[in-house]
Amino acid sequence: MIRMSELSPLPASEAWMPFRPGIDGDWNVAQAAHLYRRGGFGAPLEQLQQAVDQSPDQAVSGLIEAVEPDTYRSTMATLAHAAAASGDTRSLAAWWLRRIISSPAQAQERLVLFWHGHFATSAEKVTDVSLMLQQNELLRTHAMSGFEPFVQAVSQDPAMLLWLDAAASRKAHPNENYARELMELFCLGEGKYTEQDIREAARCFTGWEVRRKQFRFNRFQHDNGSKTVLGVTGEFGGEDVVQVVLQQSAAAEFLICKLVRYYLRDDIADVVNLCQPLIRQYRDNGLVLKPILKQILNSRLFHSPWCVGYRVRSPIDLAAGLLRCFAGSANTVQLSDQTKEAGQGLFFPPGVQGWDEGRAWINTSTLLGRSNLIAEMLADSATRFSGQSPADYVRDKFSDNAETIVRQIQDLLFSRPIPGSTAAQAVELLHRRTDQSIREALQLLCSIPEFQLC
Amino acid sequence: MPNSRRQFLSRSASAAAITFSGRLPVPLLAAVEKKKAPVVLVVIELQGGNDGLNTVVPTSSETYRRLRPNTGIAAGNTLSISSDCGFHPQLQGFAELLEQGKLGIVNGVGYDNPNRSHFESMDIWHTCQRSGDRRPEGWLGRWIESAQRPAGDLTALHLGDQQLPLALKSQQRPVPSIRSKEQFRLRAANADQLQQQLLIASETAESTDDLLGFIRSSTSTALQTSQRIQAIGRRSTTATVWPDGNLSRKLQTVSGLIRAGLETSVYYLSLGGFDTHAQQPDVHGRLLRQLGDATAAFMRDLAETEHADRVMLMCFSEFGRRVAENASAGTDHGTAGPVFLIGNQVLAGLHGDLPDLNQLENDDLKYHTDFRQVYADVLENWFQTDSREILSGSWLPSGAIRS
Repeated sequence: MIRMSELSPLPASEAWMPFRPGIDGDWNVAQAAHLYRRGGFGAPLEQLQQAVDQSPDQAVSGLIEAVEPDTYRSTMATLAHAAAASGDTRSLAAWWLRRIISSPAQAQERLVLFWHGHFATSAEKVTDVSLMLQQNELLRTHAMSGFEPFVQAVSQDPAMLLWLDAAASRKAHPNENYARELMELFCLGEGKYTEQDIREAARCFTGWEVRRKQFRFNRFQHDNGSKTVLGVTGEFGGEDVVQVVLQQSAAAEFLICKLVRYYLRDDIADVVNLCQPLIRQYRDNGLVLKPILKQILNSRLFHSPWCVGYRVRSPIDLAAGLLRCFAGSANTVQLSDQTKEAGQGLFFPPGVQGWDEGRAWINTSTLLGRSNLIAEMLADSATRFSGQSPADYVRDKFSDNAETIVRQIQDLLFSRPIPGSTAAQAVELLHRRTDQSIREALQLLCSIPEFQLC
Repeated sequence: MPNSRRQFLSRSASAAAITFSGRLPVPLLAAVEKKKAPVVLVVIELQGGNDGLNTVVPTSSETYRRLRPNTGIAAGNTLSISSDCGFHPQLQGFAELLEQGKLGIVNGVGYDNPNRSHFESMDIWHTCQRSGDRRPEGWLGRWIESAQRPAGDLTALHLGDQQLPLALKSQQRPVPSIRSKEQFRLRAANADQLQQQLLIASETAESTDDLLGFIRSSTSTALQTSQRIQAIGRRSTTATVWPDGNLSRKLQTVSGLIRAGLETSVYYLSLGGFDTHAQQPDVHGRLLRQLGDATAAFMRDLAETEHADRVMLMCFSEFGRRVAENASAGTDHGTAGPVFLIGNQVLAGLHGDLPDLNQLENDDLKYHTDFRQVYADVLENWFQTDSREILSGSWLPSGAIRS
């Protein structure tokens, strides 16, 4: 990637210390909106006001510890199985987008999306919808827990094995694909291993197969010989290799830096040094993610002006974020088709490297696609804001004064100031109070450059 | 094309290859700027690592047959190129183009210390820089800047839904990406009004910074490009029969834009799916069929027009694949591979020897032509530009384009 990178205004020793309201900045609705947009996919005004009544620390804990009630989980499970039974990946994508929009466990869904980009597997190749669902549930189960059991589980996940052709890697001709991506994309990063390490690691994974949609170890196809991977020698199997890889000091560094770029901003200069305190702690606690995530979302750097408004909204952020801020719902089949058109199809990452995030979301084509997505969402009768049509909702819920409406939308949806000229045009449209003029005002606001950032 | 001519070309190219040392010593390169109607380069990026050995099959190699028991292609099934090699049977499109004297094959293209990561190797091809080096722009981006066309001119266009290829990245001139002409427009109840409002919003100078500036300039480019492309009018349909598939649709759009008079010099397209680690034969065959048929249709579509002589295609991939197949009837990441050039100004036939399957390096093919030599050929002989600054050094052109 080419881009200018920016040095953190805070040194590593202070960046990750807890945010102090009044000293490091204000703790208000706009700041709480930042927390919910990044940690989850946004929140309606009532939830933000509740968060402001708490301390930032409590709000972060509330966000991370939130769980889905049993009834919600069982409804989601029923819908998921119906989607899987349909054999149509579009149904499954619509199901997940609905969960992203409606789940009370927002931090969890945010991480599931992060992991989907990290362990990117595409339904383009893995056409069995039930296996894609199984992987999605696996990402959810392990989202905040220990990285080693997570990678072990992913390595034996049928969708992953099929995706990276590990499912038919035999003793005589090991297939290198999984071994390479395990080191390059999942755990260590390019340049932290040699080609010889890949060849040797591939031998360790021989005999790992998928039979009747399940992982199976075929000892007849496993290479039992001695292998040397990353300087360690033994008669390794696949589990051993995962362990060896994760024992590298590069592992914690690779993941934490990626996570910090995802949650804060993707153009951080000298990110390894900045992240040292987090990396140390992640290693010390055995690569368990939850406490690190808490620390990141409660940190001075995360709540600093250097971070707010410097992340590019992905198409899912854009669609889900708008709906969540208005307690909305929509036809997610159509909506997930549109996020795909704008560059982010759930279950269809562009390749093994996942989505490139950041500026990569923005090009002339996706910018028009993003605006069109908003237009179609607002025009669709299935789109409801808190049970009402978007126009009714704006008329009922917001003040009568068009200037005040724009100011409220600013706090709720924007991390950057709406330019004066756009605000004036939106006020004029809102003032007319017709269904169409309200929709036009919302589309305008959600298409300007400032809205692409959060 | 008569067989003798093909053989002659093949032999002479091989002879030239012996003298290939890569870098030229001194300014042997003519830096003359010939006056000519603007030419068009259409780049087709084959993503995932195209198996060069099953594309241009070394039919006379015993080693090939031995190392490719399940994925190898029998000599008798290939479409003959020379006594030593033939095309994959699904590449009838390429065979037709070769027959018409429009297709050049540059063999054994790669670079030193090959990197086998898709992303890293692709970035090397795109920028001519290794990892760790600064990569602020791509090779075509540098050409776009050096060409100094008027501001607002659509010098290059990317057709695809992926991010802008690094090759097109330039410091000063953002290159637009479009998926298709039909998709590339603002949809709204009142699109003209929204278009105007967004143009104003993207040209405001309020509270600017680098990231917001980038989004504003991309928004403004998007709106302006969309207006221009929609204004060109509906694509005039021609009698050409286009095959199915994404690549074919994109090439059809490109042909329409060229015929409509869009003065764009570079179109960048991609075809994905070449990462054939498993069950290669069917997948690879389908991809090559698409590639051959779509490019042949594209050339047919332009053949009878005034544009026929000003269009050239270049097809490349980030690497070839391992010589020995794996256990999944597939092949793993390898090194050198062929680059294809298609056009009326291309010297048809083989350029450079087929890689020697008995002289492998870490079980992989050894390259003999640096990819920058192909770029130098394109820059010097097609764009009539001095390639030295763009490629940071003098590279001997691969000799596949008429100078």
